[in-house]
Amino acid sequence: MQELLTNPVIQSSAAPFLVGLVVACILFPIRLAGLAAGAGFLAAVWMIGAFGLAPLTATRKLVVLAAAAPLLGVLADLAFKPTRVTAPVLGVLFGAGAIWVFWSVLSQKPAAEGALLGAGIAALVLWTVAFTVSLQDRAVRAGAAGLFLGLGTGAGAVLGASALLGQYGLALGAACGAFLLLAMILGKRVVAGATFTLTAAVAATLIAAGALVLAKLPWISLAALALVPLAVRLPLPEKLPAWIQAIVASLYALVPAAGACALAWQSSRTA
Amino acid sequence: MRKALLAGAVFAVCPLAAHAQAETYKVDPVHSFPNFTVDHFGVSSIYGRFDKMSGSFSIDRAAKKGSVELTIETASVTTGDNDKGSRPRSRDEHLRQADFFNVAEFPRMSYKSTNVKFSGDNPSEVEGQLTLLGVTKPVNIKIDRWVCREHPMSKRAMCGGNASGSFKRSDFGMKYGVPNLGDEIRLMINFEGYKE
Repeated sequence: MQELLTNPVIQSSAAPFLVGLVVACILFPIRLAGLAAGAGFLAAVWMIGAFGLAPLTATRKLVVLAAAAPLLGVLADLAFKPTRVTAPVLGVLFGAGAIWVFWSVLSQKPAAEGALLGAGIAALVLWTVAFTVSLQDRAVRAGAAGLFLGLGTGAGAVLGASALLGQYGLALGAACGAFLLLAMILGKRVVAGATFTLTAAVAATLIAAGALVLAKLPWISLAALALVPLAVRLPLPEKLPAWIQAIVASLYALVPAAGACALAWQSSRTA
Repeated sequence: MRKALLAGAVFAVCPLAAHAQAETYKVDPVHSFPNFTVDHFGVSSIYGRFDKMSGSFSIDRAAKKGSVELTIETASVTTGDNDKGSRPRSRDEHLRQADFFNVAEFPRMSYKSTNVKFSGDNPSEVEGQLTLLGVTKPVNIKIDRWVCREHPMSKRAMCGGNASGSFKRSDFGMKYGVPNLGDEIRLMINFEGYKE
């Protein structure tokens, strides 16, 4: 059993998927199936043994902020009833949070380089959070975006020479996949909300930014990943069953995610 | 009056004499390297080293006291696999990323002694604190060989030797690959320093 729990494949795929599925199944009647993303991701972090606050490294801050996202998402969904402004406001908030996450690295770089890198990361987080959270009423599209933001980030991080961040990304993708599976089966009865969309966007972009700052994921891969929440907005066959829509939306999301991985692969070959 | 002057002179000279016995040596970076070895899948041992180490050590033989302060550039880690060939990354590149030494966030690790034990006139063991990945923990280093002499060509006073120790990398938060990639890191340090 212990061997199974320490297996990286189990930690970053089967376990977060199962945890995400169980949480989604239990909580969908109270419109909180979106907690699947956070629960699956944090289960993987726990299994990998990376929970802890001392010392508060960039990777640990990343987990703290990713853990704060579903809490804030639940608050937004249940207490404030999200409006059009919610998505960009959350984007700005978590963009600033991203600066805090990577401050220990940014502050060691020359001022201009650090400022440019920090501004780029904050802009990426703002963009991805804003465009993903605005999918909150469309569970199938949001699920497909979360799935491929996670998988693209995870695979990209592995190619960028960080297995830990790779595991985090793949775990997020697996947990989002569990949510998407439920949305495929139950259709519009499953609600994504800010709970799901905020978690998927924040965790994925922070992992990707971590792979950029702490490993060697190229900028261009992050730019490609940022297209995922736009790709799932392409027209879907709305009259067909949810599972067919989910497949089509996933194919849309696959394109930029695969592109991001291809760019990371190319960069690793030439760097 | 003469006794008072004599006593005054003795008191004035004594601290200087004691001070003169403490010698400080600056680490010679081209002859001082922290080497390490770690188990690989329980099959073999991988050897590596850091190419850049700086610092100093001091010794007071009369008082049997000493101190050590070392700084190691984590990006200078090498295990002999720096050419990635057809792979995405070489092992040395991977060692520099967040899974291991995380050099972007922690470009240096350091060691500072808290006590130096002596065996006869020579230092035999250093008790100290290793700071790695932002975590500070006690690590003791045994001095296996200690020699002081005049450099045969430059004639400068030098001391050096070999030292060894071990620690668990997971204690410092470096958990990637444990237990397949060994948790215990064995240190073998060769060092030389010139008297300042």
